[in-house]
Amino acid sequence: MSESTTPGTGRSGVIHDLGYRRYDGPREGTGAIARTLFLTGLRHAYGLERSGKSKVMPFLLLGMSLLPAAIIVGVVVLTGLRSLPVTYAGYTSQTQLLVSLFAAAQAPVLFSRDLRHRSIVLYAARPLSSAAFGFVRWLSMSVALLAFMVIPTLLMFVGALLAGLDKSDQLSDLYKAVVLQVFLAALVAGITGLVSSVSLRRGFAVVGSVMVLIVLTGVVTAVQNIAQSQGSDSVSVGAGLFSPWSLYSGLGNAWDAGTRVPVSVDGAWVPAYVLVLLLVAAGCVLGLVARFRKVGSR
Amino acid sequence: MMNATIAKLAAQALLGRRRFILLLAFPVLLIGLVALVAALTDGDAAFQILPGLGYPLVLPLVAILAASSVLGPEVDDGSIVYLLSKPVSRHGIATSKWVVALGATLVAGALPILVAALVTGDTTRAFALFVGAAVAGTTYSALFLAVSAVTRHAVIASLMFVLIWEGLLGNLFSGVAWLSVGQWGLRIGHEISSELPDPANLPWAIAASVVVTVAGVFFAGDRLRSFTLRGED
Repeated sequence: MSESTTPGTGRSGVIHDLGYRRYDGPREGTGAIARTLFLTGLRHAYGLERSGKSKVMPFLLLGMSLLPAAIIVGVVVLTGLRSLPVTYAGYTSQTQLLVSLFAAAQAPVLFSRDLRHRSIVLYAARPLSSAAFGFVRWLSMSVALLAFMVIPTLLMFVGALLAGLDKSDQLSDLYKAVVLQVFLAALVAGITGLVSSVSLRRGFAVVGSVMVLIVLTGVVTAVQNIAQSQGSDSVSVGAGLFSPWSLYSGLGNAWDAGTRVPVSVDGAWVPAYVLVLLLVAAGCVLGLVARFRKVGSR
Repeated sequence: MMNATIAKLAAQALLGRRRFILLLAFPVLLIGLVALVAALTDGDAAFQILPGLGYPLVLPLVAILAASSVLGPEVDDGSIVYLLSKPVSRHGIATSKWVVALGATLVAGALPILVAALVTGDTTRAFALFVGAAVAGTTYSALFLAVSAVTRHAVIASLMFVLIWEGLLGNLFSGVAWLSVGQWGLRIGHEISSELPDPANLPWAIAASVVVTVAGVFFAGDRLRSFTLRGED
C-alpha cells in the first residue's frame, strides 16, 4: 500500500504509514510527542477529557483545599486583620492531607494504567522512548501537584492584595512558598509515581503512596515531638530527613516561610535537608525511568 | 452462608505474590516504632503513639487494604462475573470475603496494637485498646467492603472517610465522634480502662458498631446481586 513513503524529517525506522491514509505534509518531531504527552497527562491528572466520574475526586479534593483559603480571605476582609493568620507555605503544610490524598489518588491514573493494560507497548512503538515516557509522566504529575498547591495559595494572595495588605511582604512570602512547593511537587510526584508504577493494582498503589506520604510523616512527627520533649534536638531535626512533609516544613522553617517544626532547622542541617530532598527526588525519577525502560522493552 | 472456596480465593488475592509484604509492613513499622521509643524514653511516651498514630491511622489503613483487595481486583479486571455466574448466594460471597478481610484486619491491625501496647507496660490499658481496635476493625472492614462494592475508587473514598471525616473534622468538631467508627471502638475500650477517652455513650457505640457491621456486609451482598460491570472511566 505504500510504495514510496517519503520520510519528511529524514528519521528512519519510524512507522508512519499505518495503511489508513496517505499524509505528505510536515511531521513534527519527538519534542511535539513529548509536549502532547505532557499536556494530556496534566489534563488526565484532573480527570479532564475523561468521564465525569474521574473528575469527581480531583475536583472534590481541590475544592476542599480551596475552602479554608476562601474562609481565611473572608475573615481577613471582615475583621480588618493587617496580616494573614497563616503564611502561604504554612497553608500548604496544614492542608498536607489533601495534597497527599490528591497525589495518592491521581498518580495511579498516570503511572499504573498504561502498564496494567499494556498500552505502554503502543507508546513504545513510537519514536519517544519509554524512558522519556516515564520522565514526561513525572513532569505531568509534578505540574499537576504544583497547580494543586499553587491555586489555593494564589486565591489567598489575591484576597490579601484586595484586602489591602502590604504588597512587598505578601510577594516575598508568595515567592518562598512557590519555590518550596516546586521542590515538594517534584519529590512527591517522584515518590507516588514510583510506587504506582511498581504496584499496579489500584488499591495497593494508593495505600503504598499513603503509607509514604501520611503514615511515614505521622511517624516522623511523633519521633520529632518525642525527641524534642526529651531534649535531644539533633535527633528531632535529623528525623525530619525521613519524610517528604517534614523536609518541606523543615526547609520552610529554615527559610523563615512560616511552617512549624518542633525544633528549628539551622546550620549544617539546611544543606542536608536540601541535599536529601534533591537526592530522593532524583532517585525516584531515575527509578521511574528505569522502570518504564524495562517494561517498555518487554 | 460461608463458602470455603471463595474465602480461600479471597485470601490468595489478599496475600498472594508479594502483596503480603505491604500488609506486613504496617505491624512491623508500628511495633518497631513503639518498641524503639519505649526503649529510649519511657512507656507512657511510647503509648501516646498508639492513640495518636496506630489506632486512627494504621488500623483503618489495614482494614482498607484488606477490604478493598478481597473484592477490588476482581471488579477491576472483570473476573468477578465468573464468580457471580456460579450458583452461590451473593450474600454468601460477600460474607466469605468479609470474613477474610476481617481476619486480616484483626491479625495485621488489631493484634499489633495489642503487642505494641503491651510493650509499653500496663496490661489493662493494652487490652482496653485491643478490644477497641478489634471492634473498630470489625466495623471498618464491613464498612469498607460495602464501599468497595459501590465504587471503583473505594480506597480513596474510604481514605477520605478515615482521614478527613474521622481525622481532620473529628479533631475540630467533637460531635463527629457520634458518627466515627474509631470513636465507637474507643468508647467500648473505655469500659475496660478509663485511660481511653470517653467520646459517645456506650449503648450508642455498641449499637452503631453492630448496625454498621451487619448493614455493611448485607449491603455488599445486595450490591453484588444487582451488579453491573463497567469499563474503566
